[in-house]
Amino acid sequence: MKCVFKNKKISAVISVVPKEELRFDDEYPNYKLTEDKARRFKKMMSLDRHRIAPPEVCSSDLCQYGVEQLLAEGTIKKEEIGALLFISQTPDYFIPPTSNVLHGKLGLGLDVQCFDINQGCAGFPLGLMQAFMLLDLLPAGQKILLLNGDTCSKQLSNCNRISYPLAGDAGSVAIVERCAEENPIYMDVKHDGSRHTALMVPAGAYRMPSSPETMKLREKEEGVVQSLEHIHMDGPAVFNFTMSDIPAQIEDVLKFSGNTWESIQHYLLHQPNPFILKQMTEKMKLPPEKLPSNVVSIYGNCSSVSIPLNIALNCGDILLKESRRVLLSGFGTGLTWISMVMDLGPLQVCKIVDYQAAAK
Amino acid sequence: MNKQEFYQRLAEILDTEEVKPEDTLKQLDGWDSLAVLSVLALADSKYGASIKADEIRAVVTAADLANLVESKKK
Repeated sequence: MKCVFKNKKISAVISVVPKEELRFDDEYPNYKLTEDKARRFKKMMSLDRHRIAPPEVCSSDLCQYGVEQLLAEGTIKKEEIGALLFISQTPDYFIPPTSNVLHGKLGLGLDVQCFDINQGCAGFPLGLMQAFMLLDLLPAGQKILLLNGDTCSKQLSNCNRISYPLAGDAGSVAIVERCAEENPIYMDVKHDGSRHTALMVPAGAYRMPSSPETMKLREKEEGVVQSLEHIHMDGPAVFNFTMSDIPAQIEDVLKFSGNTWESIQHYLLHQPNPFILKQMTEKMKLPPEKLPSNVVSIYGNCSSVSIPLNIALNCGDILLKESRRVLLSGFGTGLTWISMVMDLGPLQVCKIVDYQAAAK
Repeated sequence: MNKQEFYQRLAEILDTEEVKPEDTLKQLDGWDSLAVLSVLALADSKYGASIKADEIRAVVTAADLANLVESKKK
């Protein structure tokens, strides 16, 4: 579905990462990899380091910390918050919604709306779409906090030599609000549920409830040990999805928005791994400097937070001063893929901070 | 398609000296899901061949793989 939003903008983006950093060189002995295979894997995926949340830190804690930073710095006032949109695959509980938990912890008023949405790597653009729609219902001056949080490391076995070293945990907060300028934002949003098994956690909810059997670790291939409660990925199917559906959608949304490949200043995509991004860059014949692929080597694949991290890491300084024409694209589980073109910035805040646990 | 060149590229992916057409892929040390991903990328970028997940899973020997890539070549 194609849509255009007007008189809306993102005014601030803050990403929060756990302090705990793991280095591939230190971890690879855990994965039962020969030195040769480790070296090949490291080179292929440009592996270096990633951030992993400790067991007691949830996605919502990372998001809460981001909101508290924005409140403390005066970027937003509590009374300006009209809604919390929490997009995650790692909620605090099955019941109640995590957005309600955060609503309580932040001490928000009874008219502040709460929504949880289960989405993965397309979660940032999907959240923006929801926020833009919801803004029209809110009283003038009220803003939406788009909270993206994922602690994917908790959904992976640390004996999975392929997925674990690539994973990263992070949260982000984007302030979405109305603006006087028209600022058209062009989106294309697509879903294909017939491919929903390509990326899934098969057990642990109600289709296949948690049991000793679903928790049992099994070896899928050498060095890939996981249970049915971990993320399962059909690698070849996902590869084909990223190489065919995403470039086609990007080309389509460029045309829809009246842009050319050249008129976009930054292609800020979800970052699953540098290998796949390099292939996509070549396929779309883009200069590599226009399509950054450095997030995973520093923070890991942070699911829906990888776009906010990408924005701050690669355009943070520029966007504090001026506006840039960007293409954002998120794609993953569902399957769901969303690409959008917008003029982003100048932003009040655009940064990445380390999470500090509150003093008990 | 130059098959010799394809086997050479396959050998590079598997980090081995040489791959022979009759070699059974699953018996080669480097043949894992990362190698599969690399072959899909090679087929796409060098040969314009888009190979489906179940097609690559059905392949047994290096020659089968070369034939599959050739049959999908644009």
